[in-house]
Amino acid sequence: MDALFGDEQRDLQRTVRDLLTREDPGPAVWQRLCGELGLTGITVGERHGGAGATTVELGIVLAELGRALTPVPFLQTAVAATVLDRSDAPPAAEVLPALVAGGLVAGLATPAPPTRWPTGSGPALTGVLDNVVDGPHLDLLLTPAVVDGAAVLVAVRTDAPGVTRTTLPTLDRSRPQARFALRGAPAVEIGDAASASRATDLLLAAVAVESAGAARFCLDTTLAHLRTREQFGRPLGTFQALQHRCADLAVLVESAWATARHAMWAADADPAGAAVSAPLAKAYCADAFRTVAGEMIQLHGGIGFTWEHPAHRYFKRATSTDLLFGGRAWVRSVVAERAGLPAVR
Amino acid sequence: MDPRFDDADEAFRREVAGWLVRELGGEFAELVDAGGPGREHEHVEARKAWERRLGRDGWIGLGWPEADGGRGLSWQRQVIFHEEYARAGAPGRVGHIGEQLLGPTLLMFGTPGQKAHFLPGILDGTQLWCQGYSEPGAGSDLAAVSTRAELRADGWHVDGQKVWTSLATEADRCFVLARTEPGSTRHRGLSYLLVPMRQPGVDVRPIVQLTGTSEFNEVFFDDARAPAEDVVGAPGEGWKVAMGTLAVERGVSTFGQQMGFAREFERVLAAARAGGAADDPVIADRLLDSWMQLQVLRHTAVMTLGAPAGSTPGTEANVAKLMWAPWHRRLGELAVDVLGAAGTVTAGPEVDELTPAQRLYLFTRADTIYGGSDEVQRTVIAQRMLGLPRGPA
Repeated sequence: MDALFGDEQRDLQRTVRDLLTREDPGPAVWQRLCGELGLTGITVGERHGGAGATTVELGIVLAELGRALTPVPFLQTAVAATVLDRSDAPPAAEVLPALVAGGLVAGLATPAPPTRWPTGSGPALTGVLDNVVDGPHLDLLLTPAVVDGAAVLVAVRTDAPGVTRTTLPTLDRSRPQARFALRGAPAVEIGDAASASRATDLLLAAVAVESAGAARFCLDTTLAHLRTREQFGRPLGTFQALQHRCADLAVLVESAWATARHAMWAADADPAGAAVSAPLAKAYCADAFRTVAGEMIQLHGGIGFTWEHPAHRYFKRATSTDLLFGGRAWVRSVVAERAGLPAVR
Repeated sequence: MDPRFDDADEAFRREVAGWLVRELGGEFAELVDAGGPGREHEHVEARKAWERRLGRDGWIGLGWPEADGGRGLSWQRQVIFHEEYARAGAPGRVGHIGEQLLGPTLLMFGTPGQKAHFLPGILDGTQLWCQGYSEPGAGSDLAAVSTRAELRADGWHVDGQKVWTSLATEADRCFVLARTEPGSTRHRGLSYLLVPMRQPGVDVRPIVQLTGTSEFNEVFFDDARAPAEDVVGAPGEGWKVAMGTLAVERGVSTFGQQMGFAREFERVLAAARAGGAADDPVIADRLLDSWMQLQVLRHTAVMTLGAPAGSTPGTEANVAKLMWAPWHRRLGELAVDVLGAAGTVTAGPEVDELTPAQRLYLFTRADTIYGGSDEVQRTVIAQRMLGLPRGPA
């Protein structure tokens, strides 16, 4: 998949892929991902019980989960664990061991402009956080907020008084959402404005790499179909009209992976660069995934339109990826702003 | 910060940049941004002198083995040289066909005698080469080559016509793919010959392109001669050698090319700001797309071209071409679109008096055709990288 990976990275990829193709998606997979393999804590320092790896390794795991579309709150929990570990605020030591063990599920609010952040004075927070991914599962919610006039990153326990959670029915059934209404909810500050920004960037990079993995699965599955399905007395894959479309999809898949892996590398290794590469990767990979998933349906013909075939699940995941996490227009405007380009909105 | 380079590499970068600043600040100052695709007619003699200066100071053959006169530098340092070269606006090369295509082919397939005879002239910038592959009847279908050559007692006799030959008017020699086995077809019976250009049997006629300029030429061989020993690889094995030439281009120059793209983008952006087009949300969106795609090109090149040789399917160059060529063409469209009506007015009354934006706009129509059209790239990617089966012939 990636010639720049070393042996350990390839082993990690194989281990996760084997697990996800062997196990039925469900609580057992979550237990094995967390408890047995310790992957929610893959980036967490050893002092907090983690594996001490970098965000590059986290990206490898996320790409595999995207590939399998495994409906577990891994992305959110692993991103939150990374944010807490890198922030090193006092709450980190408290919650990280539980996050690493899978006993606690955490996640970030879906990115939004500061005007939509919750506000508060002291520890009490008010506001609405909508479309929070994996919201129904979250025990701990991280969000940027404006507290006493200053932008900060805070953590809110979802079982605290003043927190009302509403589970939302979703088009993408592999990615549950909830709305959180906060009315004077108790919040703990875990970072400043810069930490809040970095946390959001890591979430965007993580979503990008998950999309890149999913897009590759869509192409692989489509190619397998075109090699075997025969019409007009020959495999569909022999038709040049279809070959050329697949070549364009391959370019999208390769370039999305390269862009996402760079963003995951930058998350730990080049924080200044990550401010651009993360939103850029999210915008590019979500768009690429949506294109490839749509072509997966078309190139499968009628079977691709059935509920039974997995194509629609990837198409819906691609849609939610593109529309959530701030959406396409917002994330592109962030790239333009940070790259010093003319404003697009 | 850049994941590709270490501190010693960055020191090398400063050395390269320092040399370029020094040389381009003096007698070669007129060459900044001169030449290159769409501008090959500019300052040709000065650019040939520039080649010799590059050679004198050891900047040609950076990646070639030291035993063959090169410097044996790492992939990273070669990339750095190309990046700094483009960043400095150093002129379009006239010796690159020898350095990047013929030289590596000789290193791979040449005899010790051929290497000793031809490599020094490439390394010191005195011998220029052109490539004789395409023909009127063999464009995308290169194996349809019909130029013929016959080995007689006094050497090779070559007859036929090549086309789209860059820099043929300046080149001292041409590497020619010719049919040497009468009656052979397709990939069999071809030989890779090294033919001197300055002889009565060779006639070069510039092709006037839709840009009004002539970077490409037709080359006619009418009983042209080449010494018997100037065949690379065995006679009849020329296809293998020619394909080897394409495969050795692992793309260190890609990063220099991207640096050049970044400079072009900055100019388009500056024009959009100066003329007010940047305030148009549709133009702003296209500028953003262009800039994002340029970063994506770079990340993709870092991933695929940085991989150890043999570790990838060998189709990275096809993916890269299918990405950059359409990107560059869209940038050309943007370059005139940001000017609006003013983009339709040329710099003067002659057909080749184009503005830089117009030149970019028009010349980039060639990008998606030469070096394997987009359509050929798609077929190669589908069949060799994705393993889709060939259709009925």
